[in-house]
Amino acid sequence: MDSERTEEYLEAIYKEQSKGLSVSTSLLAKNLGVSAPAVTDMLSHLERRGLVDHKPNKGVSLTDIGLSKALEVIRRHRLWERFLTDVLGMTWDTVHDEACRLEHIASAEVTERLARILGDADTCPHGQPIPDKDGNITQEKTMPLTDFLPSQQVCILAIDVEDANILKEIEKLGLRPKVVVTILNKKADGSLELEAGKKKLQLNSKLAAVLLAEPITSQLQREVQEIPLSKLVTGHSGVLTSYAGEREQLGRCLSLGFTPGSVIEMLENYKGCPVLVKVHDTKVALGRELAEKMIVSGETA
Amino acid sequence: MKGNTQEKAVVIALAGSPNVGKSTVFNLLTGLSQHVGNWPGKTVEQKTGVLRRGNLTMNFVDLPGTYSLTANSAEEQIARDYLVEENPDAVVAILNAASLERNLYLVAELIELSPRLIVALNMIDVAQQQGIEIDAKALSVSLNTPVIPIVASKNRGLDELLATIERECTHPVDPGKLQHIEYGTETKKIIDHVDGLLDDSITTPYPRHWTAMKLLEGDTQINKLVMGRVSSEKFAALDSYLKENESATVTIATLRYEWVRKMMGVAQKKRQLSRVSLTENLDRVATHPLLGLFTLLAILCVIFALVYSIGIPAQKFLDLQLVQRGREFVNNSLDIPFWLRSLLANGILSGVGTVLTFIPILVSFFAAWAFMEDVGYMARAAFVTDRFMHMLGLHGKSVLPLCLGFGCNVPAVLGTRIIDSPRSRLLTIIITPLVPCTGRMTVVTLIAAAFFGSQAIFVSIGLVIFSLVMLVITGLIMNRFVISGEKTALLMELPLYHIPNPRIIGLVTWQNTMAFIKRAGTIILVVSLIIWALSITPHGDINTSFLSQIGKFLEPVGRLMGLNWQMMVALLSSFIAKENTIASLGMLLGGQGVGLTQQLKLLLTPAAALAFLVLQVLFIPCIATVTAIYHETKSWRWPALIVAYQLVISFSMAILVFHVGRLF
Repeated sequence: MDSERTEEYLEAIYKEQSKGLSVSTSLLAKNLGVSAPAVTDMLSHLERRGLVDHKPNKGVSLTDIGLSKALEVIRRHRLWERFLTDVLGMTWDTVHDEACRLEHIASAEVTERLARILGDADTCPHGQPIPDKDGNITQEKTMPLTDFLPSQQVCILAIDVEDANILKEIEKLGLRPKVVVTILNKKADGSLELEAGKKKLQLNSKLAAVLLAEPITSQLQREVQEIPLSKLVTGHSGVLTSYAGEREQLGRCLSLGFTPGSVIEMLENYKGCPVLVKVHDTKVALGRELAEKMIVSGETA
Repeated sequence: MKGNTQEKAVVIALAGSPNVGKSTVFNLLTGLSQHVGNWPGKTVEQKTGVLRRGNLTMNFVDLPGTYSLTANSAEEQIARDYLVEENPDAVVAILNAASLERNLYLVAELIELSPRLIVALNMIDVAQQQGIEIDAKALSVSLNTPVIPIVASKNRGLDELLATIERECTHPVDPGKLQHIEYGTETKKIIDHVDGLLDDSITTPYPRHWTAMKLLEGDTQINKLVMGRVSSEKFAALDSYLKENESATVTIATLRYEWVRKMMGVAQKKRQLSRVSLTENLDRVATHPLLGLFTLLAILCVIFALVYSIGIPAQKFLDLQLVQRGREFVNNSLDIPFWLRSLLANGILSGVGTVLTFIPILVSFFAAWAFMEDVGYMARAAFVTDRFMHMLGLHGKSVLPLCLGFGCNVPAVLGTRIIDSPRSRLLTIIITPLVPCTGRMTVVTLIAAAFFGSQAIFVSIGLVIFSLVMLVITGLIMNRFVISGEKTALLMELPLYHIPNPRIIGLVTWQNTMAFIKRAGTIILVVSLIIWALSITPHGDINTSFLSQIGKFLEPVGRLMGLNWQMMVALLSSFIAKENTIASLGMLLGGQGVGLTQQLKLLLTPAAALAFLVLQVLFIPCIATVTAIYHETKSWRWPALIVAYQLVISFSMAILVFHVGRLF
């Protein structure tokens, strides 16, 4: 059994790493609430044990062994969280700290029984995925709400925060994993106006940043890419990101509603023909040469 | 009585995007009191009309349908120039409730230009069918302007709209009411910077702040205006700042849509998942690349069948009853001097009279067209044909006037107004005269029957196909070598289908028909009289007249096709109206009906007859079409080019056909 401290480190490194960020000493120091020299010290210890790679300019990364150990800890942590909410009936803002203590004392036997009693739950109460016992984790492609554009409809998958107060606030707004919201407006200060169910919500940027969501249309795990509108498959939707054509045509496009951030649904796209799309509730026919110049982030089949 | 009996007149502009039912509202408000003309210097239709309500006379001006007020097109420029320069007492923005989001975009622009704005929320019934519930009161509060829900197609809510207009017009205009939508600090800074580079004397009559915004939006007309008024140094500074901030174009539009979304949040109460609507179901066929073409073809067949079964018999009837009987009556019964008799019979009745007999055909075409337009099908027809039209440098919408050309080329030329790209429009006008109209087909049918017996139908169809092939070739040549300018891509809204309104169809048909009659009464009359005068001077005998001298002068050319001078004169007379060929031949060959056929057979070989038919279908457009082209292109250059071009191709093709034909 690794020490509690080791596990905390591995867990912290994994969390940052899974966001695609390069993990620096200072970041870890901040997340773990310790001093930077202490982190450096610990990292060289972990490196000696073959759990992490630490390159001065590239930051820290987990080795394969380190990764599987980190996933074990995370599995235990998230299973405990589930247990605390589902079985013991605690609220989701209180379970993180409890689970932090429990995750280090569970034996493999307890962990698996725990998983079974929870019906092999695949997410924690905050929507984060639980790795299976072989260390496989299905990490959904998510983005913070702040990265979406107005008019996009998204499904909240997880809440990436441990702070009990923030969790309480989110709970109050009725935002939970699996809730579908539409982003109505995005303000200069980063706050968002959302529509959830039939209610309108205001969300400050701090809250918006911790809500991880995926666009509703890519639930079938399609790749979202930047493609010309002319390549969008019939029945699919994309969000207009830019216009690459002549400026003379731009005004016409804008006044018909082809503004960045607008959702465009492809209604008809036959080879060699003009395309038919729906934008802002209206059907618009669009010459193919124009459709080739409009770039949308959409799914390819 | 309050003693407020003073007469008052106000001017009210109707603004709105295409497909919001604006013309329906306008027609309901003004009925037959409307006046149709052109906007000064533009070939865009201007409709005005009057409505009296108590002591208030409301003069309605129907602004062209636009999606925005940036000068992307002549329509948009007209609309905003009218608002700025004429300062109407009130502006009524007509919105389609079923597509409120897009329509509010125009409102975002209108509130910055019109201090007295009234919003008419049309088609709320259609919106309700789609599960859209709109809170007009809430919208009114947020927009700070009255919002009146109406259903124009069912004449609902218009009374309240009028009452609101009346009430608003009695208050003094509150200049503080001119609102600006929020553009965010970043963009506002940029707009203000440009604003600071301008001053009022430069931007009049436009508001300065508004001008700054339009400059940033890349509005070429405003850009030109400012360039002409400031020193080149100052303009260079302005221009480079605008170039630096090119992205503001997109940002401003985006922010406007964000404003719209805010308004939508207030106004749209709920949105159920809409069912697959009728429009979706119909469009599965109507916009399909293959099925859509068949649909269009089937619809055209039905229209032509209608026109041929109603319009043509009616035309023949009128021709017989009015023109022929009238001529007989004038020639035999009236005791008047010879020249007056000839003027009435040959000048007026044969010329204008014959043109007017075509009214039944035109009315059926106009009605069919207005019907298809009102139902919402026209945009689909343009959509499915766009890829073919595109090859010719045309626009999908070009197909509509071209089809109309089969009835008569004149409304076809006028009908090109629906094409928003000037280049495609000009090209469409140029090739329109090659569409064989009913007038030409009358001549073709008669002469083909005389020479080719049972094969006549194939000859007629062959000639139609031949004309269309020439049309395509002409289009390709003109597109490649003659016409310059940017090609603009198809960008067009497909409106929802809806149940046609007989009143609107009637009104549109009526207006188009009246316009045609007016034309026949003026320019066609004058030219008919000139030709008549040529046929009777100097000795009162057509065989020695100036006209025959022209014909004889042309005889050497005619001989190349086996045609004598009478045929050449007959051809020339088709310049007044295509079917005049027959009347002229009758006059020149001294007989009618059976006599004429026999005479023709004596005069022409089959090869010459075929050459004559080719000549007839390709010959220069009739005078009515030529003047229409002049009116629509605002220059004599294009009618002259078309006449010269068709003169060349008609003669060269006819000569070719004659010589090839002789080989058999």
